[in-house]
Amino acid sequence: MTRLRSRLRRGLASATAAAALLTAAACAGAPADPDAVRIGLLVSLSGTYATVGQDMQAGFRLYLDSHGGRLGGRKVDLVVGDEGDGPATAVPAAQKLLERDRVVALTGLVGGATVDKVQVLTTARKVPLLGANARPAFTSEGGKPRDLTYTWHTSYNSDEPGIAIADHVKSQVGDGAVYAIGPDYQGGWDELRGFTDTFTRLGGKLANPDGKALFTPFPATENFLPYLNKAAETKPEAVYTFYAGAAAVAFVKQYAQSDLKDVPLYAAGFLTEGSVLTAQGPAATGIRNVLNYSPTLSNAANQAFIAAWSAAGNSSPPTTFAMASYDAAAVLDRALAGVAGDVTGPKLNEAIGKVGRVTSPRGDWQFEPTEHRPVQRWYLREVRADGPVLSNVLVQDLTTLPAT
Amino acid sequence: MDTYLIPGLDGIAYGLLLAIAAAGLTLAFGAGGVLNLAHGTLIAAGGYVAATTSTGTWPSLAAAVTAATVVGAAGGGVLAAATARLRGRGHLDQALLTFGIALIGADLLTTVFGADIRRPRLPAALDTTLTIAGHPYPADRLAALTAAVIITTIGYAVLHRTRAGRLIRATVDDRHMVAGIGVNPRAVDTTVLVVSGALAGLAGALCTPILGVGPATAPTTLLLSLVIVVCGGLGSVPGAVVAAIGVGLVQTIGVITIPALAPYLLLSAMALLLLTRRRPLPGMPG
Repeated sequence: MTRLRSRLRRGLASATAAAALLTAAACAGAPADPDAVRIGLLVSLSGTYATVGQDMQAGFRLYLDSHGGRLGGRKVDLVVGDEGDGPATAVPAAQKLLERDRVVALTGLVGGATVDKVQVLTTARKVPLLGANARPAFTSEGGKPRDLTYTWHTSYNSDEPGIAIADHVKSQVGDGAVYAIGPDYQGGWDELRGFTDTFTRLGGKLANPDGKALFTPFPATENFLPYLNKAAETKPEAVYTFYAGAAAVAFVKQYAQSDLKDVPLYAAGFLTEGSVLTAQGPAATGIRNVLNYSPTLSNAANQAFIAAWSAAGNSSPPTTFAMASYDAAAVLDRALAGVAGDVTGPKLNEAIGKVGRVTSPRGDWQFEPTEHRPVQRWYLREVRADGPVLSNVLVQDLTTLPAT
Repeated sequence: MDTYLIPGLDGIAYGLLLAIAAAGLTLAFGAGGVLNLAHGTLIAAGGYVAATTSTGTWPSLAAAVTAATVVGAAGGGVLAAATARLRGRGHLDQALLTFGIALIGADLLTTVFGADIRRPRLPAALDTTLTIAGHPYPADRLAALTAAVIITTIGYAVLHRTRAGRLIRATVDDRHMVAGIGVNPRAVDTTVLVVSGALAGLAGALCTPILGVGPATAPTTLLLSLVIVVCGGLGSVPGAVVAAIGVGLVQTIGVITIPALAPYLLLSAMALLLLTRRRPLPGMPG
């Protein structure tokens, strides 16, 4: 009797489990609206880069909301995943989006390490990965170069800001030397290499004693004053740097308190981009930096973008992170319009390759045909008061990268 | 010489701030036998409270420092109540409990204050630089250095010249004897944890203008405090002060003298000290 009951119970339990699984599969398998497409947005909602992730989500949603929740005429079912601080959280979240939610495209992605790992998953499933922020130097996979067929970015390569500004810095310092300093991790090495390689090729001299950029421990360094005062002893004509997030705030505030305070500071634009600028306050005034976007650009697309951004209740100006994610939505909008019938990964990917010129707040750009990243203009900006808030005000165009 | 003047000053300022933070940790361990892994969370809590209270006026700055100290003391009280029941069950149980409290506390702080790094707004007189021997030096750091010197002096006087201080030191040395003279050592434990929390909160408040406070503050300050406590000798306040100034100098002069080793310098210095140390540091129980 007891055995019978226990067998019965076990049978019931497995039946319930099976039913639950079936229900879940049915829910996940097809969106409620047969015409709707499901798109995955994977960004940091927690951790160090949560503010960047929130910006990217806001940018994507802004485009979606201002287009009636539809991209390419299809209703969009946006599923958001948390990237956290890197692959440890991002990979399971990406797997969930790909396998359970069966998204037709994955966008967002804050960190380079995340892109490096998730790119393998999306490529294997033939789902386009449309990154809107970091793009790493993809390492080879199993001895072969990475297959980038399904990989696209609306952002930039990490060494491009430095490449774009080197010529301008050279023209400003003449024969004077420039001190280069940045954080000791992949992003820092890429950003600084872009500058130092290009600058020395143009005949520029580095003030650093060994002729190489100085790297500070990351993320452990909070006190930059000793490094800055030491750098001042080399009597540089200018300083070039890249820091982002919390380190950028500490660096900028302490720069203004150091022996270097009267030496011009040039930087990759992330130093003063977004929420960090508010925290830096007046200490950031006058910093000249390079990025692919400035909220003060005067083109019509940017004015519409800024108006929608403010109307959505944002008090500070939009960032390059929000802009690139907004553009990712724009790319999907045009690509989805070009897909006939059912939307599949390969069909959507082919359509992304055909979007051509994208009208963007940063100015028009298009995908580089083999590397699948923007050919775009880079701008020199200066931190100034723009009305009541500090902003990265456009100074001049620098160059178009990658050079064609 | 001139090269090392400002970093040296900076190192001492930073070291004394760390000493205030670590003094509480070393006392709680020495007297109460409590290995408090939530110490960094109390420092961060003090920092957040100070950063949100100070609005750029002198009264708000005073309120910020007071509020941070009170919050730290309250946190110390909670920890005292939580660890009281674990007495006699060894350090591992305490470590597990306080570590759990630290994780929950860190999550609560991020939920309430967000993931951004926060800095207090200071009165204009502090938000500027002074000139020392021809070099600019931030006024807020000088103020923190002064405050740290005053607090360290008061702390020393209390510990060595008052009955309460003597009781605490006696409990570190021999809690049974303290019980023997009619004082409940558990009352001393609780007091030490509350004072230790207050010092943590105060240190958090004094550090925020310089370093800011964010999600990384709690683990970083806990690690630095542990390094100081280990190097200075468990339970020794003078040892902690000496070790803290050492840590401060390694983090300022050391990293610019040998930049290539900067990430490893602090822990290598600690390992070297522990391997070669024959004599205890001043004030350390032999």
